[in-house]
Amino acid sequence: MTSFRPTFRALHSASTATRPACRHYLPQRSLVTRNHSTSSVSADELSHFSALASSWWDPMGPSRILHLMNPLRHEFIASCLADSPPPTTTTTANSANAANLHYMDIGCGGGIFAESLARTIPLDPSAPAPTATRAASMTAIDPSTMLIQVAREHARMDPTVDAHLRSGKFKYLNTTLEDVLASTSPSPSSEPSESTLSAGAISHPQFDMVTLFEVIEHIDPTTTTPQAFLSNCLRALKPGGWLIGSTISRTFPSFLLNQVIAEAPWPIGVVPRGTHEWSKFVNPPELHAWAQEGLMRAADSATTRGGPSALEGMKWKCMGTIYVPGLGWKMVPGSESWGNYFWAVKKGV
Amino acid sequence: MRPISRAALRSYVCPSCRHGIGAGRRRFGTKIDQTPDIYDVVCVGGGPAGLGLLAALRASPVTSKLKVALIESQDLNKARAWNMDSTQFSNRVSSLTPSSKEFLQKIGAWEHLDTERVQDYQEMQVWDGESGSRISFDWSMDTPAFEDMRTVATMTENANLVRGLLGRIAASGDENLKLFSNTTVAGIENGTDLQTEGPDLSAWPVLSIKPTGATAETQPSSRIAARLLVGADGINSPVRSFADITTHGWDYNRHGIVATLSLADPITPPFPAYMRTAYQRFLPALGGPIALLPLPNNHATLVWSTTPENAAHLKSLPTPAFLAMVNAAFRLSMTDLTYMMGMTESSSESTSHEDELSWRIQHTPLPAQIPPMATGVQTGTVASFPLRFRHAAQYISPRVALVGDAAHVIHPLAGQGLNLGLADVAALSRTIEYAVSHGMDIGDLLTLERYSSERYLPNAKIGGACDLLHKMYNIPGQGPVTWARSLGLDVIDKLPFVKSFLMKNAEGY
Repeated sequence: MTSFRPTFRALHSASTATRPACRHYLPQRSLVTRNHSTSSVSADELSHFSALASSWWDPMGPSRILHLMNPLRHEFIASCLADSPPPTTTTTANSANAANLHYMDIGCGGGIFAESLARTIPLDPSAPAPTATRAASMTAIDPSTMLIQVAREHARMDPTVDAHLRSGKFKYLNTTLEDVLASTSPSPSSEPSESTLSAGAISHPQFDMVTLFEVIEHIDPTTTTPQAFLSNCLRALKPGGWLIGSTISRTFPSFLLNQVIAEAPWPIGVVPRGTHEWSKFVNPPELHAWAQEGLMRAADSATTRGGPSALEGMKWKCMGTIYVPGLGWKMVPGSESWGNYFWAVKKGV
Repeated sequence: MRPISRAALRSYVCPSCRHGIGAGRRRFGTKIDQTPDIYDVVCVGGGPAGLGLLAALRASPVTSKLKVALIESQDLNKARAWNMDSTQFSNRVSSLTPSSKEFLQKIGAWEHLDTERVQDYQEMQVWDGESGSRISFDWSMDTPAFEDMRTVATMTENANLVRGLLGRIAASGDENLKLFSNTTVAGIENGTDLQTEGPDLSAWPVLSIKPTGATAETQPSSRIAARLLVGADGINSPVRSFADITTHGWDYNRHGIVATLSLADPITPPFPAYMRTAYQRFLPALGGPIALLPLPNNHATLVWSTTPENAAHLKSLPTPAFLAMVNAAFRLSMTDLTYMMGMTESSSESTSHEDELSWRIQHTPLPAQIPPMATGVQTGTVASFPLRFRHAAQYISPRVALVGDAAHVIHPLAGQGLNLGLADVAALSRTIEYAVSHGMDIGDLLTLERYSSERYLPNAKIGGACDLLHKMYNIPGQGPVTWARSLGLDVIDKLPFVKSFLMKNAEGY
């Protein structure tokens, strides 16, 4: 098989923490008639990732390192849910392991995470959740038409995921977060969300879990700020829900690993050149501060301003992760400043 | 490279290689319309490896909900109903290492075995027939005083193991489980894109299966699609051919003779009383080692690797002469043995094999540790099989994984073949478990590479070590190789930590 052979890129790479990125916030794309209210993705990011579209799902291709990281995302989400599960509307005895969480994946790219989470949605909604991520539905959005196309095509190759696509439990939307928030569709699921109905001020769809993997370092600093973008992510979250993401910190070790080593020519590098821009990387304390500010802004309404009360019940979680050639990704507590890390914010109830 | 339609290949093959693959592939409209039944795991082959995988998947709470199927060309009901008198033993016996036994206990299969029919042994005596150099393997170094000696391995009839695994699978219920017994795989091909009707199965293996036997003509073949197709279908694996995985290796030009023997009472009773010993003597002049491995009630199983000519000759001997040759092989010098192997069994001859043995044995100094005399052969158990080495170039391909003999066949001199197969199955079931709990597609290469990277090198290492031993012990006479291997054996025997390291390696720890 040509498709399986030891990858020297993976085995011999001296790099540890890297990740080919994936997401982009496409702002105004001239080809699309839709007018985006906000533009959070830069055009050069878009063209970079669209060029990778055809090899997105190649296990030995440029996105390999991202594929390898994907199982850890599930583990990190499971650890967040184990710490503090979102409040459940149904108070049945087995609600602790019921598949009742509605997910949104922002910047889903070719669907690496979105598809893997959709696979864990039980075909029978009343069945207990097969995994600790307890997914009931998944809405995945990305501004790149080409990547959404790749994602949909790949999803059809798994009958389980295909069934979820057909039933609507799993959706790929070629749109931006700003447009989702502007839309008036009542709920991510078929059943109306209680919080949406009760809180009259909020009319946009809300989710139990919002994921933002390898996105925040790819937004366009000329049209928006990570701060404003995070506020929007938190607006999409139900009270008590988690916003979970991953990014890279902007430190000297991460510069060495992500810029010098990871993007080096073959056989050293594991990430396509031009994937990352070091100056866009985000340090955990910055992210924590933006999240706090974002929670207060998200609580803003037409008549009132969200104050420090919006931070009540907030939780913050951070976990460094390191790629060890030959062993794969490992979670290493305390390694946040070396490079890649997962982070999570829980909105207070 | 197996033919996969272009759309499915996009994910796996670089654009330049993609060109031309799949071109000229014909499609037959009649078959395409029929939607196949979809299974998560389809295992071809109902031997210990295939059944072990199924039992492991059914035993784990994570994977027990997977829809699984097994296809076996033999009648599984016969295997389920297998029964033998307690004084009789099948000639297909395997030596299970403690880690294999641990795995069987973990998946709840061990309790379904008839443990009256298995035999632990705590010591192994291995010596060189040319030089007499000897090594004794036991866990005495690692066993504190007053504790029972640890088991080196457990002799288990394959039929007992298969029946036990079938029992374990039956105990897991029949939900999401289908055992196709008496069924052959008529063909494997890639599925089709169902377009608007359903999912795109163009990279999924779809099997046409057909019942065998009298009713075969009347019954139509059915089609099943596999998220993961597991080849546990032996050395000539059809699954491996479908995946277009090459295999390399060679024939040893040796045959293994097996037989179930009954033994005389040992001259000195074992101490402690439970202690049992396995014996293996290398016979460079005859082309391979002879081994006697203990079974319950003073029985033993024989495995004698020798040239096809010697094997044919031994099998043609009447029982008393055969027993004399076995006893001689553990006792006499290479010169005497070569002479006796050349004796023709003719009634007019004044001396028979037995007389020859008893006369020659008086003039041969016997080492302290030799097995008791073999006194009887169970009727119909003398058989032989060719010894081969094979190793598949890969264990995995998109939606295909190979386990057991389909992936590797090794020389039986260390009794590791089945253990490697069970270790494959344990690793593959762990991989599937990890994939299911992390939302991964269990047939995806990214999932399967975890299995392959865990098993490929260990299997190559054990297979290579057995091959090296075979080659080293096939050089007859006194010379530098004999001297070196004897020195090596003597040195290892006197260095407990080296020996302990080797044993742990052989055990799979």
